[in-house]
Amino acid sequence: MTGNLDRPDPDDLERPVVDLSPPGGAPSKVKGGEPDGGRGGSGLSGILPGIVQGLATTARTMTRHTHTAEYPDVRPQLPPRSRGVIALLDENCTSCMLCARECPDWCIYIDSHKEELPPTTEGGRARQRNVLDRFAIDYSLCMYCGICVEVCPFDALFWSPEFEYAELDIHDLLHEKPRLSQWMATVPAPPALDPGSADPAEVTAAAKPARPARPVRGERAPGPGRPSRPPRADPQQTPPVPPADGDV
Amino acid sequence: MTTRDIVFVVVGVITALSGLLAVSTRHVVHAALWLLVCLGSLAGCYIVLGQELVGIVQLLVYVGAIVVLVLFALMLTRAPIGPQPDIDAPVWQRVVAALLGAATTALVAAATLPVIGQQSVDLDTPVVTTQQIASAIFGTWVWPFELLSVLLLVALVGAFAVSRVVLARRSRS
Amino acid sequence: MSGLTWLEVVLRAVAVLAAFLVLPLLVGQTEHKVMAHMQGRLGPMYAGGFHGWAQLLADGIKFVQKEDVVPARADRSAFRLAPGVALVPYLVALAVIPLAPGVVGAKVDASALLVLAVIGVGIIGTLMAGWASANKYSLLGAMRAAAQLVSYELPMVLVVASVALAAGTLSLVGIAQAWTPWWLLWQLPGALVFFVAGLAELQRVPFDMPVADSEIVFGPYTEYTGLRFAFFLLAEYAGIVVMALLFAVLFLGGWAGPWAATVGWLWTLLKGLVLAVVVIWFRVSWPRLREDQLQRLAWVWLVPIALLQLAVTAVGVVMMR
Repeated sequence: MTGNLDRPDPDDLERPVVDLSPPGGAPSKVKGGEPDGGRGGSGLSGILPGIVQGLATTARTMTRHTHTAEYPDVRPQLPPRSRGVIALLDENCTSCMLCARECPDWCIYIDSHKEELPPTTEGGRARQRNVLDRFAIDYSLCMYCGICVEVCPFDALFWSPEFEYAELDIHDLLHEKPRLSQWMATVPAPPALDPGSADPAEVTAAAKPARPARPVRGERAPGPGRPSRPPRADPQQTPPVPPADGDV
Repeated sequence: MTTRDIVFVVVGVITALSGLLAVSTRHVVHAALWLLVCLGSLAGCYIVLGQELVGIVQLLVYVGAIVVLVLFALMLTRAPIGPQPDIDAPVWQRVVAALLGAATTALVAAATLPVIGQQSVDLDTPVVTTQQIASAIFGTWVWPFELLSVLLLVALVGAFAVSRVVLARRSRS
Repeated sequence: MSGLTWLEVVLRAVAVLAAFLVLPLLVGQTEHKVMAHMQGRLGPMYAGGFHGWAQLLADGIKFVQKEDVVPARADRSAFRLAPGVALVPYLVALAVIPLAPGVVGAKVDASALLVLAVIGVGIIGTLMAGWASANKYSLLGAMRAAAQLVSYELPMVLVVASVALAAGTLSLVGIAQAWTPWWLLWQLPGALVFFVAGLAELQRVPFDMPVADSEIVFGPYTEYTGLRFAFFLLAEYAGIVVMALLFAVLFLGGWAGPWAATVGWLWTLLKGLVLAVVVIWFRVSWPRLREDQLQRLAWVWLVPIALLQLAVTAVGVVMMR
């Protein structure tokens, strides 16, 4: 709910407490009141600057902007990689069970059955395909470690910053496939690549010269999928046209 | 009976009853609290009789004293809630105290009852003002007043000295 | 008081009661908001719609709904009576503090003395609460409160005596009327002593050992719930109101200011509010003193300064005569 709270305000970092001490005084009286380390003397001379500093600090804070996140009224600005909820792109799932097995607290439930696909060519072999019947994550058990997202070999699981799925009953936190798929819409696009980095694998693959055409059958219709990556941060690094001015 | 009479009788009865309760209750702290009621309503008596200053001073001085009294009661008796038989006074002490109290009451009554109704003061136009009390204390009665404060000071220093002497003796032995 | 009709007496009583119920809530709400902003927060924003102005009313309704629990081994009568004993003295004190020459609940000749006397009564409520709760934290808190009062009552009475000496009267109206700006310097040490002693009597930070939550939960009020607890809180804030107004009347001239004849009462309230904000400011800024530091401060600093102030005032009064 308070995505901003752990980010220190740059204003606060730039102004140390020390700037309150009198110009000629020792600049190290940050602790105030404790005449330690042989500085500042004892008794009132040590205490007075401290209590005045306390007053000044609170007074200054009052003139600054508050840090309160007025959550239900103002949506928090969450960082792009917030771990809010795990969304499922069920077209990509092959029911390989890797996520369910890697999950430390066993909160992913997967049911599937095998389906026979007719041979694509005459006299060919029939193929088998896994059909996902159930995919459920129990968010009352999930500890948001993200291992399932990391381990998924087919990019079927994604982190979404969505966090408003609290329930009154803990049993209602077991979310099934339709609900998990709904959250796909809230998954942000992956961040732009760093300038100078290698091309993503799918771009490289697409740029390769096409193989000799093979008849493709039984191809899936393109689903909603995940949003595509935004363009590269520095377009100069991958010039679509030959360089204009001869720079390398 | 005027309103003032009625109020005075009510406050007076409260004073007397709470005074009785203060000496007859078996709870240490309750006794102190009843004493507070007693002294407070005594201040009320003064105010009803037109002596605001005396009443306020009564409140200021005795309430502070009651706080200290309660503190001592709590610290010396392990602050029990409810009666605690082992710090109760024995029967003969109670009888002697009751007799002494009754005798004092009789003495005061014998002195005051005959003069009731002989003299009357008009309370609606106060005769004695704060200024008069002040000039009486710091004029006519200044020496007794100062002597009393010296007496209290001597008592204070004495208590301090006694505790110091006892402590010094204890540390020496 | 004999010159008043019954109607006037009733009206004045109602006005004092209204002030007693409204002003502490005002201070409480100020504390909510000022403290929040001093800590980089917003404070209550929802109750009442506009910046949470009705938060304390909502709190009050909540307190009324709570169960009134009395501990099994408590002294029931003293336990139940204690909040009232803590609350009523401040009501009496507020009744005699003047906002302007005519704007006062009850005209009393020695009102300065009366206020000091009844403020001391309030501590009995805390003491009763702490003892009757049958809880060691409560008892410790009550003992601390009483020890604090015994220490700080003396310097406070001494500096009030100094002001009364300077004005030549014990009446708060008379003291405020005798005030001149030159008192700001003349009575400065006394004013500081009064403020510190007032903070200590109210058990406000940095003198809140009686309710030090990290040591003794909530001191004498630990066992209280519901409306009785709310009464203790109300007494605390009424105490701030009384102390702030008393300070304004004694040391800041009360209604002295431009157009004092018409809006004098507003000046008194304004000065009191500023002082209440200072009290809140201290609460936000400072840590708690230790018990022995508190006693040391009272006896080593405040009492001598108060005595010195009394002497300075006496010299001044004699010289100016």
